[in-house]
Order: sequence, then C-alpha cells, then structure tokens
Amino acid sequence: MRALSRIRHLLRNVFAAGAADRELDEEIRHHIALETEEGIRAGLDPGEARRRALLAFGGVARHSEAARDQRGTFLLEELGRDVRLALRGMRRSPSFAAVVILTLALGIGANAAIFSMVDGVLLRPAPFEDPDGLVVVWETDRASGTSHEPASVPDYLDFRRRSETVADLAAILPAERNLGVQGRDPARITVLNATPGTLPMLGVRPLLGRTFAEGDEGAPLALLSEALWRGRFGADPDIAGTSVRVDDVPVTVVGVLSEEADWGIRQILGAADYGRSFADRGASRVDAWLPLNPDPEAFPRQTHPVFLVGRLRAGVEAGAAQNELAAIAADLEETYPENAARGVNVQALREVVVGPVRTPLLLLLAAVGMVLLIACVNVASLLLARGTARSREVAIRSALGGGRARLTRQFLAEGAVYAGVSAAAGVALAVAGIRLLRAAAPADLPAVGRVAIDLRVLAVALAVSALAALLFGLVPAAQAHARDLGERLQGGGERGGTAPRGRRRVRAALVVAELALAVTIATAAGLLVKSFIAVTSVDPGFRAEGVLKAELQLPATRYPRDFSVWPNWPRTLGFNDALLAELSSTPGVQAAALSGPHPLAPGFTNSFLIDGRDPSAPPLPEIPVRPISAGYFVTLGVPVLSGRTFGDDAQPDGPGLAVVNQAAADAFFEGRPVGRRLTFWGSSREIVGVVGNETFHGVDQPAPPAVYVPTTQVPQWNLSVLVRGGDPGALARGVRAAVNGIDPDLAVFGVETLEETLSGSLSRRRFPMLLMTLFAALALTLAIIGVHGVLSYTVEQRRQEMGIRMALGARPRDVIGLVLGEGLRLAALGLALGLLGAWAATRLLAALLFGVQPTDPATFLTVAGLVVAAALAATVAPAVRAARVDPARTLQAQ
Amino acid sequence: MGERTDVLQGTLDMLILKALTPGPMHGWGVSRRIQEASSDVLQVNQGSLYPALHRLQYAGWIESEWGVSEAGRRARFYHLTGPGRRRLEKEKEEWRVYVGAVEAVLHAT
Repeated sequence: MRALSRIRHLLRNVFAAGAADRELDEEIRHHIALETEEGIRAGLDPGEARRRALLAFGGVARHSEAARDQRGTFLLEELGRDVRLALRGMRRSPSFAAVVILTLALGIGANAAIFSMVDGVLLRPAPFEDPDGLVVVWETDRASGTSHEPASVPDYLDFRRRSETVADLAAILPAERNLGVQGRDPARITVLNATPGTLPMLGVRPLLGRTFAEGDEGAPLALLSEALWRGRFGADPDIAGTSVRVDDVPVTVVGVLSEEADWGIRQILGAADYGRSFADRGASRVDAWLPLNPDPEAFPRQTHPVFLVGRLRAGVEAGAAQNELAAIAADLEETYPENAARGVNVQALREVVVGPVRTPLLLLLAAVGMVLLIACVNVASLLLARGTARSREVAIRSALGGGRARLTRQFLAEGAVYAGVSAAAGVALAVAGIRLLRAAAPADLPAVGRVAIDLRVLAVALAVSALAALLFGLVPAAQAHARDLGERLQGGGERGGTAPRGRRRVRAALVVAELALAVTIATAAGLLVKSFIAVTSVDPGFRAEGVLKAELQLPATRYPRDFSVWPNWPRTLGFNDALLAELSSTPGVQAAALSGPHPLAPGFTNSFLIDGRDPSAPPLPEIPVRPISAGYFVTLGVPVLSGRTFGDDAQPDGPGLAVVNQAAADAFFEGRPVGRRLTFWGSSREIVGVVGNETFHGVDQPAPPAVYVPTTQVPQWNLSVLVRGGDPGALARGVRAAVNGIDPDLAVFGVETLEETLSGSLSRRRFPMLLMTLFAALALTLAIIGVHGVLSYTVEQRRQEMGIRMALGARPRDVIGLVLGEGLRLAALGLALGLLGAWAATRLLAALLFGVQPTDPATFLTVAGLVVAAALAATVAPAVRAARVDPARTLQAQ
Repeated sequence: MGERTDVLQGTLDMLILKALTPGPMHGWGVSRRIQEASSDVLQVNQGSLYPALHRLQYAGWIESEWGVSEAGRRARFYHLTGPGRRRLEKEKEEWRVYVGAVEAVLHAT
C-alpha cells in the first residue's frame, strides 16, 4: 500500500513537477495569509502582521526547497535541471557546441557507414548452406600462363564422376538472352545456365515454386530472379507454370529465386580469364536461371564454356581436392590431345568472391578509424581548453557550496547531452552515408545490396558516445577537484603557472598526433589520386570520343547457326551488310563498323598455330580473336602500322585474311608478320597488316596480342555496333532505327558512348580513391581545427606575457612570430611523424596503385606542402589576435 | 542544512498525526491545533512544518486534497490514512517507552 502511494507521489512529482511547485507556493501563501490575519486580529497593523508572518515562516524559498527535498524526486529533478542547464550552455556558446557535435558526428557517422559496408561485404557469410565447403574449380593453361579459365564440359563430367574429394560438382554457363513477354518490348536479360544440381548443392530454396531437379537438363524451363519477377512480372503469385519466350523459344517458369541466390556469380565471372559474358557488360545480377544440359556432343572438349562450383566432402580440405583433381587433369591431358597443358586450380569460393576487395576495404576501414581517432582527440582537446576557461566558474560554485557530487553530476549530464546529440547526428549521417555508398559503389562489389545499417553498428556508435560522455564529463569534473580552490579563485593559476603549461603540452602532443595521422591518410589519398590520373591518361589505343556503342544478339531462331556450312550464314551476313549500309546512309554518322566484342571487352581467346613454325617449339598461348567489319579501324581511329586492312576482299568463301596488332607482331612474328599465315578454328589465314594495340583488357593492363578477322569470314551472333558521329542522342536513335528497320524484333542494348564505357571500366579504382580523398580532407580539416585550437589557447594563456613583452618594446611582428613559430613547430613535428608513418604504411597500398610507387616522392612532397600551408592558415587568426593584444589592458587586468 | 527547531523532528511527525485525528485540516490549521493543545508551549517552527507534511505524505501516513477553507479560500487539506492511524498508535507507544526510560535514568541515584 505504502509502496503504491510512494510510487504515485514519485510519478506525480517527476512528471508534474511544475504543477507541484506551484501548488506548494500556493499552500505557503495561504499559510502566510492566515498567519497575517491572526496578527491583524491580535491588533497589529497589516504590514507589521505580514512581516511577522513571513519572519515566523522563515524564508519562503528555503522552505520550498527543503519541502521539495522531501519529495524524493531529488535525483531525477536535478538531472532534468542539469540537462536544461547543459542545453542552455550549448546555446550560449553555439560555435563550440557545433564544432564538438559536428566533429563527433562525422567520426561516428563515417565509421558506422564504412563498418556497415565492410560487414555486409566482407564479414557476413555467403547465404548458402555451409559456405566454407564450397570451392571454385578453375582450369589452367600452362602455355598461356593462365589460372582462372573456364572448363570444358567433358572435363566437368570426368571430374564429377571420378572425384572423391569433391562430393558435388556443378557447372554454370553465363549468357545474355532476349526475354520476350506477350505484347511487350523484348528485354535484355542475364542468364545463368546451370546444371540442375547447382541450387540444391548451394542450399538455395526458391521463394516460389520449385528449383530444377534431376532430369531437367536442357528442358525448356526457367527460374526467375526476385528482381525480375517483381520488375517485369509485377510479383505475380501465379507465375509458376506460365510461359515466357527466351530468344524466341517458349520456356515454362517453374519458380522464383530470392535475390541472394546469385551471390558470388558476378565475382566468379570477374575473376575469370575469359568467358565472362555479362560481367564484362557491367551487369552484376543474374535475371534468370536455365537448366544446363552438359552434353559433350554440344560442347566438345576443345571448348571451355563452363565454370565449375563444387562442394567438398565433409572433412576434406581444398588442398586435398586440388591434389586429386590435378591428378585427374594430368590423366586427362595424357588421354586427350585437346587437353594439352591444361591443369586445375581449386579455390575457396569465399576467396574468389571477397579476396579482391578485402585489401581496399580494410584500408578504408583503417583510414576511417584514424579519422575517428582524430575526431575524439580534437574533442578532448577542445574540452580541455574549455575546462580551463570554466575553472573559475567551477571554483566559485564550489566555494558557494555547489557540492562536488552535484558538479560532477552536472558535467556528466553535459557530456551525456553532447554525446547523445552527436550520436543521433552520427547515426543520421551513417544512414545517409550508406545510401551514398551503395549508389556510388562499383557494381561488382559483392553483396553491396545487402549493406544496411545494422544493430551492431548502432550499438557501437552508442557505446562510443557513452564512453565520450563519461570522458567529457570526467575531464572538467576532475579539473574541478584537482587544484586548490583559492588559487583558482584568484586566477593565479592562469598566470602561466606549471599546470596550464603542462596542459598546453598535452594539447600540443595531441595535435601533433592528429597531424601525423592526417598526413598518413592524405599521403594514401594522394597516391590513389595519382594512380587514378595515370590510369585515365593511358592511351587506350583507339579514339573513344565521338563513338557510340550499341549491342545486339542475333537469335538462332531467325539467324540459323549451322556449323556445317560455316562461315556461310546468309541470314547473319545479310543482316551485317544491310545494317552497315543503313548506318552509312544515316545522317550524322561519319563512320560505322561492327565487331564481336567492343574495344573495351576482353572477348575470347583461341589456340592457334603459325604456319612455318618449328613444330617442336613450345605450344603457343591462346590469342584473343577480334572479329571486325572492314570499317572498324577507321571508325575507332586505330592506326594501321604496316601493310593494309581487309575490305571487300574478305569474302566468306574467299581466302582467309587476318590483321594482327603490334603486340602480336612482336610476340610471335619477330616484328614482321605481314605475309605469314596462321591457323585457328581449322582455317588458315594470311596476315595482311599490322595495327596499333588496343587495351581491351582494361587500360591498366598491358595491351595483349590480338588477331583481327573479318566478320564476313567469322560471322558473330553477339555483335557490337560502333558508330562515329556527332550528337550521341541522335546517333543512338539512328542506330535503333537502322536495326529495327531491318529486324523489328531485335533488342538493342548497352547503348552508350565509348567514353562512358571507358569511365565505367575505371569505377573499381575510382571508388576507393574518392573515399580515401574524402577521409583525407576530413582528417586534415579536423587536424587544422586542432592546430587552431591549440594556438588560440596559447595566445590566451600567454596574453599577459605578450602584453609585457610589447610594453617592453617588442613589436607586434615579434609576437606574431611567436605564434607562427609555434604553429610551424607543431606542423613540422606532425609532418615528420606522419611522413614516417606513411612511408611504412603505404606499402599496403601497392596492389591498388598504377604507375606510381608507394613511396613516390612527388606525392609526399605535395602532401607536406599542403599540410604546411594549412597549418599556416590555422595560425593566421590566433596570430592576428596576438598582435592585437593591448599591452596596457593586459597589464591592468592583473 | 540543520535548522533550529522547537520541536524535535521525530516528535513533530507524531504531533502532526495526532493533530489530524479529529479530522482533515490544512497546514496552518495543523500548527494551530498543536499550539493550542499544548497551551502555546510548543511552537511549531513553521519552516519545518511543510517538509514534515510532505514527508508524512510520501510515507503514506497522511493524504491531501485541495478543498475550500472556512474563509472561502482554496487550501490543501490533509487527513490521516488507515496506516497513518496505526502508525500514530505505534509512535505513542514508543514515546511512552522513551519517556519512561528517561525518567528512570533521571531518578536513579
């Protein structure tokens, strides 16, 4: 009973404290009024009666306070009051509050965002059952020196049948197809042909319907991705059983897969030496799965179209699988001539997917952690300074009986308010930051769609702020207790005694540390920027400006691919001729060409032989084959270095022709290939010319040797259309019109300028560079704020000293020199430490750099100059203030 | 902060409870009742009255509500609760024991 009544009172007095106060006042006033009346009745005059009444009552305010003290809500009320006081204090010095909150918020927010990204991409396990048992089985080619090749289908069947260490092996084959839905434009989709056991092996369950089963090989079935199902089919719950057209062939949809089903596919393709299909086109998700029929007749042993993903038998290590499969591969090599020089490379799936991004992400995490450190140091420094400024106030309040506990509680409350506001702002920044990261991240960053702010990160942010609250609270409170009350009251301690100087040294040391960290990050950023600039200035071997690219795929239903009459494919060749004719008569088009892969797509390689070469010489590595139409080199501005290119003389049934690039000429023909012959795909060709190198493996790779062959002799069904002209919009319309004028059912996709393609190919470098630059800017700004803070503090501290100096004849210039000197000293120390640190740390960056050494002196010098300039800028304001010190005033203010 | 009080804190509580036995009363009235009942010997320090009233309220021995005084003014009236009555009896008993003990000491040789 009593407890209930107690709780009731407590609640009332907490939540209706104001009302309770007013009621108490009313009660007391009532009492005094009655006492006054009593006095009047006793014969006193009203004024005297009232005075006596008040006296008898003995000080209204004190009793209100005492009465309130009994209310039992002391603690909570005081806390509320402290919070209100803290907020008022923040309003009074808004710039200080803003700097502290902004600094903390930036530190917390940036870290939360980056950590969320690292967590989503690196730390979370693959969304498959028992993902540690999954491996990718690459084939290797000792002659070409490659180690991440796709495998042949017969090899796949042999591995699957014969391996004991690999319990289950699946084959996947990426492709792009046209998706036709009744009454709508065909869409270009990415497709993964996968053996039916793939999804059960991974442990992926369908969202709707079923996955493939044994016996579904090659059947006209399809599984849709969740994104495709929602985007194109309106999340139709009855989708299973409906029919769609893939490349004009009707297939039945049997189910829908969740968006996690294609985890890692993009990265496997990205890591492959060739056969990357849609990965090269910039697509990163699988839209549909079709059941692959691993038919050795359709995919003979000399072709290598499939990637193999397997599950190790329980308890088996990848190394054991490597050894066993290598032995099987050696056996196959002996049995089949097509497998000459072929081996295997077993790699953990996780390593394939996450390995390439681990270093840059961890570097970014380290950098942002340093930014947080700098932020915390700055805030601590600022609070130390403020603690000094307030020590007088604190002393007075202590002397007036403020009570240590009370003061400490107040400072803690203040710290909590700062930390709370900063945490809230930091979380908001983190959410916005994550959204930005997801938008700006390169498409092939694994699982970037799963990156979201997660509870652990929030918890860490809150923990950091709670810690900050404690520290902020304890620093001024500790200062309040640390020194002699009297000394502080007299301000004697501020006259340049040992304690403030000690504090200044601490702050200076902190600032030097900040500068060092900032210099390290800035150097890393500088190296990345320099690499990026180097990459963008590499000549890709062709002129990208003014060229528009579009892509087509000719479906086999309308453009038969009969290999028995190859290369005589009348429909395909007819289409090529018609399209080129149409394009050349399109206004605005200066030149047009067709090619298989476009100039920034790696395309495929093939083994080849050189006529007249010593047969006992070691086998040649496979060479990239680039099918092109006659106008290709002109359209793309690739120089012809010797001989000629082919034109109308390249007929389907005419003599085989080819052109090689300079790299091929140097690598295989001692620089003089014209007139020699090479053979691949069973036909011999005469080399008629040499052209300049194109960097179709990416501008940051050396240009590979390549052989160009005419599309009239090597017809393609995956075509790139390249047109040079003026306005890209008009060109795009022209291309679409030309294509659909000939074949209205063809989908034209991948339409962009080659400059856009070039820029897109650099996104993997751009992303870490931009982030690192952002962190460097943040770190430097914070460090400079720190320098400014310390110098201002110095000026304040030594104000009297400066006044005395100037009174004794020093000129303002000398005083400025003092301040500048300190600023430069700090900068120099910070720079020295930072450059040393950078020297040691930038080795970690080596893998990310291009055309730049990790210890590139120019970058180090630039960063040094930047830091010195910034430090000088930070000294300006305090120096000016020092110069303005009025000696007379400071001497008087003793 | 200690204050000079004419009535010891412990006994003030008991006297207030006793003063409310006849019926509900406001703060001033309570101090009047005590003064009159003691023939003006006990002067309730009015500064300790209200803290005591709040203390007793917090402990649940008395409760209050706003009402209208004889003069027509709004005032807060306090009244004893059941537990308060029992508490008063207990305190009276304790007081007798205390007084008896003090007397015994004073009369010992």
